[in-house]
Amino acid sequence: MIEELFDIERYAYRDSIIHRLDARAKIIVVFAAIIAIVSVPYSPIVFTVGVIFYLFFLVLWALTRLSPVVYLKRAIVIIPLWGIVILFQIFIKNPYYTQYTTVATLPFGIHIYAESILFAFILMVKFIITISFIILLSSTTKVQDLLDGGRRLGLPAEFALALGMMVRYLFVFGYMYRKIIQTLETKAFNPFDRKLPYRYRMRQIGYTIGTMFIRSYEQGERVYTSMLCRGYGRDCHLFLKKKEIKPSEWTFLIICLCFIVVIPVMAWFRQVTWF
Amino acid sequence: MHIPDAFMPIWQGAIYWVIALVFVYISLRWAKNELNEEKLPLVAVLAAGIFALQFLKLPILMGTSGHLVGGALVAIILGSPFAAVFILTLVLIVQGIMFGDGGITTMGANIINMGVIGGFVGFYSFKGLKAATRSVPVSAFFAAWLACLLPALCAAVELWFAGTFPIEAGLLAMGIYYAIGGIIEGIVTVAAIYLIINVRPDMVDKNVLPEQTGAVA
Repeated sequence: MIEELFDIERYAYRDSIIHRLDARAKIIVVFAAIIAIVSVPYSPIVFTVGVIFYLFFLVLWALTRLSPVVYLKRAIVIIPLWGIVILFQIFIKNPYYTQYTTVATLPFGIHIYAESILFAFILMVKFIITISFIILLSSTTKVQDLLDGGRRLGLPAEFALALGMMVRYLFVFGYMYRKIIQTLETKAFNPFDRKLPYRYRMRQIGYTIGTMFIRSYEQGERVYTSMLCRGYGRDCHLFLKKKEIKPSEWTFLIICLCFIVVIPVMAWFRQVTWF
Repeated sequence: MHIPDAFMPIWQGAIYWVIALVFVYISLRWAKNELNEEKLPLVAVLAAGIFALQFLKLPILMGTSGHLVGGALVAIILGSPFAAVFILTLVLIVQGIMFGDGGITTMGANIINMGVIGGFVGFYSFKGLKAATRSVPVSAFFAAWLACLLPALCAAVELWFAGTFPIEAGLLAMGIYYAIGGIIEGIVTVAAIYLIINVRPDMVDKNVLPEQTGAVA
């Protein structure tokens, strides 16, 4: 998790057309795409919309100039966990179908249904699209820009301030974690070493977690106090500088939103099912 | 316990969002009144700590994902169930937007489960148990266990409403996992409270402190 956090921020600091876009435009486009794909009813139309949305995502990803490996690495962390949950759908009858066709019967009276397989694929397509757009947003937008963008879109100041602090603490945790792990390694302590007594290992792990928490808190508190000395405070987010969205960003936003709205509507009314 | 996008029809997600927003609004008022310069770092570090706790997860085959929750810990330390709503909302925003953990359309349901139910169950069961047993560790352990189990069962019911999983299998899978996971949650909650009381008693709500420590503080 900690390495992923550092990686995400490193990708967000790169430069491309998508990176340079106003965070508000990216947030709106990504949220709209997610809402649109989730709004498509559980029917084979999801496949048509899903393929078009995925191509749209690929075009945007290509514009980020980030390697496809970056996307795959991040997707692989998320998708298998939910893939297992979705896979179980093939054994379940759900209320979206009235008739079920058994395609295989397993021991213990477990059946695999054709309609359930279809439903599992529908869920998977929707899930992959939503995750892909989230990866796009977080890999191309710095945390501070996300916060400022959110604030300009109406995120309450209390949330923005606490979120900013929370993300800073996550990085502090990260640095503390690295330091503590290095210290334990220099002392040749291995928590999985069965030669060491179990209670001793548990106590050391407990102390490590506790130390990480308290040291992070104390370091964060010191940093926060010094920030307060320089004029930072709980009300500073109330005075967020105004920033206009450029005409090119408006164009990007409008084109993307039209695309995101028109594709599912057209697919639904024309009942286009390619698969 | 996070319900991802796609696991729930959009209209159901919207209903949960509306309900969640009522609690989020009240939690914002709590934050406006309570979040002073001293408490803000604690709120942020608790949010970061819970984020880290929730990152270790396993799939539950007839449910969602299994992990620790942390709602009871936050509500007990900060002395308000709305603190849990506020902090869990922060955690879910970061998880959903940066890591794709949970969802955007289902965030309302996730806030209700982990923040609202987790926070209220954790806080009031702790208060009730503490009044009955006069023991902070025992009360915190059972409050955390309940605040872990009940939100999971609610998530199973929501997934049944959504038509994604059958109710019996969902309740059974989520119930068993979180009844066992709740024990770890209870131990972690007691350990965290013990640690904070010993190292920084000024950070915790005065109701959590043992009576003699409270008098000194």
